[in-house]
Formats: sequence, C-alpha cells, structure tokens
Amino acid sequence: MASSYGKILKDGLVTENPIFRQVLGICSALAVTNLVTNTLYMGFGVTFTTALTSFTIALLRNYIPVRIRMIVQVIIIAVYVMVVEILIKALAPDVHRFIGPYVGLIITNCIIMGRAEAFASQNKPLPSLVDGLANGLGYTSVLVAIAVIREIMSFGTVLGYKLPALDLWWHPWTIMVMPPGAFFMLAILTWMARARLVKEVK
Amino acid sequence: MNKKSPAYVLAFMAAICLVFGAAIAVVNYATLGLLAKNEALHRNTVWCRAFLLPVAGNAAEDYQRAVDENLVPLTLQDAAGEIKGYRRITPGHEAVGFLVGGLGFWDRIEAAIVLTPDLREVINLQFMDQKETPGLGARVTEEWFTDQFKGRIVDWDGPADARLIVGPAPNPQAANRVDGITGATQTSMALARFLNSELNRIRALLPAALATAAAAPATAGESTLPQEP
Repeated sequence: MASSYGKILKDGLVTENPIFRQVLGICSALAVTNLVTNTLYMGFGVTFTTALTSFTIALLRNYIPVRIRMIVQVIIIAVYVMVVEILIKALAPDVHRFIGPYVGLIITNCIIMGRAEAFASQNKPLPSLVDGLANGLGYTSVLVAIAVIREIMSFGTVLGYKLPALDLWWHPWTIMVMPPGAFFMLAILTWMARARLVKEVK
Repeated sequence: MNKKSPAYVLAFMAAICLVFGAAIAVVNYATLGLLAKNEALHRNTVWCRAFLLPVAGNAAEDYQRAVDENLVPLTLQDAAGEIKGYRRITPGHEAVGFLVGGLGFWDRIEAAIVLTPDLREVINLQFMDQKETPGLGARVTEEWFTDQFKGRIVDWDGPADARLIVGPAPNPQAANRVDGITGATQTSMALARFLNSELNRIRALLPAALATAAAAPATAGESTLPQEP
C-alpha cells in the first residue's frame, strides 16, 4: 500500500524524479525542449496520460489477467495519448504542427508504463492518480528547465517573448537548437540535481 | 470466472477494446467540427497572406470571406498529378497562386507561391506546412525569409533548376535570388529544388488551364470552399 500522498508527490517530483533518478522519458526530453511552449504542451500530454493511465489501471487491477496485463496497459495508454493528440490538435493547432509526431510517441514513453507496472498495478486508484500526476509533473519540470535555458540561448526569448536589451548581450547559439544542445543541458542538470537536490540512498 | 481461463482473457480484451474504442470515437466525433474549422482557418489564412488580400478582421469568417470574394479555384493537371491553387481576378491585382511541395530535410514542405499571371514575378510565398528543425529549417516561415520572395523575377531564360535561387549564387545581386538560411542548408536546397521543379510544371500547364477558365469564366464569390486545395 502506498504511503502518504505528500511522499508520493515528493517522490515523483524530486526524490524519484523520472528523468533525474529513473532516467526515463529521455527521448522526448531531447526532442521537444527547444521551445518552452512546445515543452509545456508535451508536459501536459505526458502528465495527463500518466495520471489517467495509472488511475485506470489501478481501478482495473483486480480484473486484469496477469498474462495480458502489459497488452491492456498499452491499450489504455494508447487511448489516452490519442485523446491528448486530438485535444491539442483541436485546441492548439499551431503547436500541434510542431510537436504532433512527438505526441504520438508518448505511447512509447517509458515513464507511463513504468509507473503502471511499478505502482498502479499494486495500489488503489487515488494514490495511483497522485503518483502519475507527480511523475508527470516531475518530468515536465525538468523539461521546462531545459527548455527555458535552450530557448534563451537559441532565440533570446522565453515563451516567445524577447528578453530585454537583446542586442547588447545575446548571440544565437545554434547548437542549443539541435538535439546535442539538449544532451548537454540534460547532463548538466542531472549532475546538478543528483549532487545537490537528491539525497543518495545508502 | 477464473481469471486465467482463455474465455475470461478473451472476454476481458473484447470489453476493454469496446469501451476504450468507443471513448476514442466519441472524443474524435466531438472535435471533428473544431478540427475542420482549424484546418480551414489555417488554409484560408495562408492563402490570404500569400495573395496579400485585405482581411476585415481576425475571425475565421473574415478569412473565408476574403478568399471567397477575391479568389477563384484553379487546378493544373498532368501525369504527375494535380497542382491546386487559385487565381485572383480583382482588377489591377490579377495573380495566380499554387500550392507547391516537395521533400524538405525531415518531411514534406508545402508552400503557397503567388505569381503575376505571366509568371514573371513572384508576388509572395507563404508556407502551408513544414516540419523542419525549429530554429533552423523552420525559420523558412519567418517574415524576413518569405519577404525576400516578394518581387523576385523568375529567370525563365536560365537553367531549369535555377528559375529561383535560394542561397549562394555567382551573382549575389541576381533578381531571382534570395538568401538561404544559415545552419539550414539542406532545407534551403530542398526548397529551391521543389520550387524550381514545380515552377516548370506550372509554366507548362498554366496556359491551357487559363484558356479553359476563360472559356467558362468563374466569378469570385461563387467559389465554395472546401473546394479549396
């Protein structure tokens, strides 16, 4: 049985952060973090899918045959991802034009199935919902941190708004737009987080 | 029922597929109208910008009205397929525009190119769809880049692959040349490649299409999108 909701939230956001600690969901962390807006929509998609998938699997956990549990999990994840894709396409078509291919790939995001297997299949629906939410937000927070740095270095903007006195200090740093820029930022942030924020379990 | 029995497994899978399949169908059906409206708005916006049409406001209806009142659908056809577009018949602003496309660095790029009816001068170029690298190839959609095409003179006397030049050229001041994008050489080259290829097709097909259109003149305002390309 899961412990308190506060601990579940803290685990997902910091202590067991899916990117820093579990090293899951790295592909999309590299792909969509060149603009903060794209990252926020991707974060919404992953958080929505992780939370609702965990909730649904926890709800059905006593009925799902063990032999086909992973097939069932994939079906549930795919359904929620399709819902997210339809919603983004309908509500933010311009964003969908940029991140559309990556939204479909949320299905393969290891965080979602990881939480379904590790937590939701053994816990009640509400703690599972909180766990999915916490892990989704933990993933989003890291991606947004990377995206803010990359967008500033690449374009001199945050959420499309130009930073003050841009001409005086800013020069476009092309490598930050490309996937290697995300590799560098991810590695630096992971190092900082593991060194400073996360207490190593001895 | 025993959860391990094949009958239970089959029944469970069937139920899951039925319930979740129905859920997706409901969400899809509920957003169909919005998706169609978004797509129509995007296309109308691109065509209005490409033809430099006056638009009364920012609402979808304003863009639709601008297209309906100023443009008449025009389709070119050859063995390679169709090139869909419009002609503007507003007196003093006559123009033809076509949706051209080709493979970019990552995926297909589609652009609306608008020219004078004699195909001598580019009036404007706007991108309908592209999936190039944000910050690099995707900068083709930025105004500074597309504005370069305004007033470019198509070189019909030169090589077939240099009607328009994107990037470096022996004569940097050439009237048919625009600057490429630093860091997006492949996108710039791909753009030049498909623009030139499609311009050659358009030149071969347009006279017959205009002759047909003249024989059965259409009036702007009678066009009913979604006949749009």
